[in-house]
Amino acid sequence: MDFLTNLSQGFSVALNPWNLLFAAIGAVIGTAIGVLPGLGPPATVALLLPVTYKMDPASAIIMLAGIFYGAMYGGSTTSILLNIPGEAASVVTCLDGYQMARQGRAGPALGISAIGSFIAGTISVFGMSLVAPSLASFALKFGPPEYFSLVLLGLMMAVYLSEESIIKGLAMATLGLLLGMVGIDPVLGATRFTFGVSRLLDGFDFVVVAMGLFGISEVLINLEAPEIRDIFKTSFKGLLPTREDWRRCWASVLRGSFLGFFIGVLPGGGAIISSFISYAVEKRVSKHPEEFGKGAIEGVAAPESANNAASTSSFIPLLTLGIPGNATIAMIFVALMIHGIRPGPLLLQEHPNLFWGVIASMYIGNIMLLGLNLPLIGMWVRLLKVPYHYLAVVVVIICVIGAYSVKNAVFDVGTMVAFGVMGYLMRKGGFPPAPLILAMILGPILERSLQQSLISSGGDPSIFIEKPISAALLCVAAFLMLTPILKRLWKRNRPVQNT
Amino acid sequence: MKNTSDVVGSLFLFLLGIGAIIGAIRLHVGSPTEPQPGFFPFLGGISLIVLSSIIFLKGWLGHSQKKVAFGEVGRPALLLAVMIVLVAVLDRLGYVIGTFIASGLILRILNVKSWRVLILTSFCLSIGTYILFDKLLGIELPVGILARFGL
Repeated sequence: MDFLTNLSQGFSVALNPWNLLFAAIGAVIGTAIGVLPGLGPPATVALLLPVTYKMDPASAIIMLAGIFYGAMYGGSTTSILLNIPGEAASVVTCLDGYQMARQGRAGPALGISAIGSFIAGTISVFGMSLVAPSLASFALKFGPPEYFSLVLLGLMMAVYLSEESIIKGLAMATLGLLLGMVGIDPVLGATRFTFGVSRLLDGFDFVVVAMGLFGISEVLINLEAPEIRDIFKTSFKGLLPTREDWRRCWASVLRGSFLGFFIGVLPGGGAIISSFISYAVEKRVSKHPEEFGKGAIEGVAAPESANNAASTSSFIPLLTLGIPGNATIAMIFVALMIHGIRPGPLLLQEHPNLFWGVIASMYIGNIMLLGLNLPLIGMWVRLLKVPYHYLAVVVVIICVIGAYSVKNAVFDVGTMVAFGVMGYLMRKGGFPPAPLILAMILGPILERSLQQSLISSGGDPSIFIEKPISAALLCVAAFLMLTPILKRLWKRNRPVQNT
Repeated sequence: MKNTSDVVGSLFLFLLGIGAIIGAIRLHVGSPTEPQPGFFPFLGGISLIVLSSIIFLKGWLGHSQKKVAFGEVGRPALLLAVMIVLVAVLDRLGYVIGTFIASGLILRILNVKSWRVLILTSFCLSIGTYILFDKLLGIELPVGILARFGL
């Protein structure tokens, strides 16, 4: 009963006309940036943070959340019609989606990705409504050692799942921790690494860093290659999948939804990883694995369902534990902090309207997105004809406004440009930017909980393994970091066993 | 084959690690029982040195997975130059004039050839975003020399 009462309280917030409007704006912007290659959800959420400064916190988070899961809907359009992923979580949709379009089945491919996303999103929001309150009340038992281990695990997972080299991911996370230390020490109040620059007393602002790392660097990367957009000319008639399509892929949608939900809950997990894993699972369980890559509808249904479910469930660690699991969620963490709200186990008690309002808005947002993506598909395809130079110049200008608006200082615009160059070079060298921003955000929590733990134990580090939850979390983190070494050892021993 | 980008990147990170350790020692590291402001940076510095050394070795021995492939770097370099100039003149020229010139230059870099399109787009962008963000959303943007005209 509590669940229903809370949810109805959430709907009363989400159905407020302003919040409905902001959910719709979020859904439209999300779909647009999902459709347009060259601008991902983390950059868009970072770009739009300044717009939320004067908004009600619930409205702001409802809009930003809409952008995130809306992008998952939109991303499939570009993958299917252009063979270019609109955003990273739709990479795998290109494999079968584009082949379906070439076979004259773009309509069913777009249809199943929108309907699959809707089913997955709804399942995931329902799961979130059930799981999040229990997890939040469990997390209330956490002390500094548990928090330290949890944050460390979150960072390790972000590194492990960042697709690039684990060593480089760890180096970026360490660099992020060091950058997060610039300014005033959160425990003792000493000034660190400011080099006499008074503007650095508050440290580097996350918004400024994120705009540079994700916004400016993305534009710089895209400027390297000439723009080629070859939209596949096809008919969009018959968007609804046939009975045969449904028979083949209903199980894929459900598998993708559940898989996406569980992967999204893991700190560091998210839409990208879940889409790849669900595609691999579908190919393995399929009776016709040879059709994958040649236009199998299951190859579109499963990853599109998974990425949508994961984008929704990745809010769970943020809202219940205060741990952002990926770069977009990290930006939403920053948005909450800007509004003076600390994400974590107390969020549900202190701001139940926001907590349940955001969850309820996701139910509504998914319905809006279904309406936006099926009947209006032609409009989104036309959006693809807008040349990239207009998007690039808008991104640059909004980055300038966003960075300037943080403290009304040109210094921040300069800092953003510097981080833009850094992000560009990092991406070129295969150094993932997401662990850096996550570590920057989580650094002060990690430092505070480490110091509090050590002070309370009289400097004895065994406190981290004496507490069972902390020990379990550290074991998982250690296992993740050792996995590449174990894999290598296993591979080396395998031929020996065979002979 | 040696991976130059990893070698250069790791050397940069190594130097940052050294810098963090020097800074941490200056701040006082303390001990685990009494951690001082330099304690956490010291741990971070050591970790960065260890990790950058591994990246360096892997890059030097050619064991790295990904190698850098730069495309046409002229346009990113030009965009950066425009942004640096914009940072330098933003306070003096103000947002509207600064972004009008910057957007024009960026569009030119992006091969927009028609001067009419270029000027019109830049004008609409700078004025449109100024009205949206400054006047409607209340984000104060620098007025610069337009302050003389009472803006």
